[in-house]
Amino acid sequence: MKMSDYTAKDNYFEDFKVGEVIKHARGKTMEPLEQVLITNLVMNTAEGHFNEDLMAKRSEGSKFAGGKRVSFGGVNISFFIGMASQDTAENCIAELGMDKIKLMSPVFHGDTLYAYSEVLESKPADREDAGIIRFKHYGTNQDGKQIFEGERTVLMKRRSHWADK
Amino acid sequence: MEEPEFVKKAVLRPKGNRYEDFEPGRVFHHHWGRTISQAENAIFTTLTLHFNPQYTNVEFAKAMGHRDTPVNPLLVFNTIFGMSVEDLSEGGGPFLSVDELIYHKPVYPGDTIFAKSTVVDRRPSGSNPKMGIAKWHTQGFNQHGELVCDFKRSNLINKRNP
Repeated sequence: MKMSDYTAKDNYFEDFKVGEVIKHARGKTMEPLEQVLITNLVMNTAEGHFNEDLMAKRSEGSKFAGGKRVSFGGVNISFFIGMASQDTAENCIAELGMDKIKLMSPVFHGDTLYAYSEVLESKPADREDAGIIRFKHYGTNQDGKQIFEGERTVLMKRRSHWADK
Repeated sequence: MEEPEFVKKAVLRPKGNRYEDFEPGRVFHHHWGRTISQAENAIFTTLTLHFNPQYTNVEFAKAMGHRDTPVNPLLVFNTIFGMSVEDLSEGGGPFLSVDELIYHKPVYPGDTIFAKSTVVDRRPSGSNPKMGIAKWHTQGFNQHGELVCDFKRSNLINKRNP
């Protein structure tokens, strides 16, 4: 088999039209297992992400966080980009950067996240086998409320050079 | 319930910084450093549903010119961010934004990441007199001292003496 047989045919540089908005298949429910695992793997020491007792006591007499651990924003961002990745990263040569990343609401264990992507910009790269795409990604929760947005710029394979490799 | 004797005697060693500690220009060299393994790259990439095979298929990565699977850049970002938390935002609230993030070089399994931050700016919160907003420039380096990723981050931070 060729390398290109392991990825889709519809997500090369040429396929992304400026203004297009994609709804990504599959949502994902945030589990304590993975939120705490990733938060601890990257040595984030903020115990609001992994000490439920602290959050319960801190919230007594206030409505802060409802007494629950709050998901680490880095994990939330990674979930949203991840859910967008099959459509917008499968044929990326490299991730170049991110900008204007905003998290509007906390995410708790048991919340379900969904991702959307808009194509903001498409331009040539300094190599002929690839182009640059700038996406704006959006995220919602199970209530359909927007809780995330952010831009992401990638170096994307051109079908003309990579589709037969 | 009576407190055990050791609890009565214990003196808390607090962690984290407060708004007053973030003098613009101050530099923090974050603790520990982190060697990233292939297993961590795979578990992070699969748990976050990140379907770009160069992070999970070494043959695919080699065909693209890499010597090994690169570490998922989102894991590189999270690792640099994570190591910065105790110094920067552990004494704070939710983070507000990340801007101007650039991935400068790929990271490979076995590479070690170090993190450093500089205070860019701070201001009091308009809505909460007990908090302020700090902005930092955080940089991640590999074991050769090469910059691999940097970004700006803003966060709500508690004041020590509101």
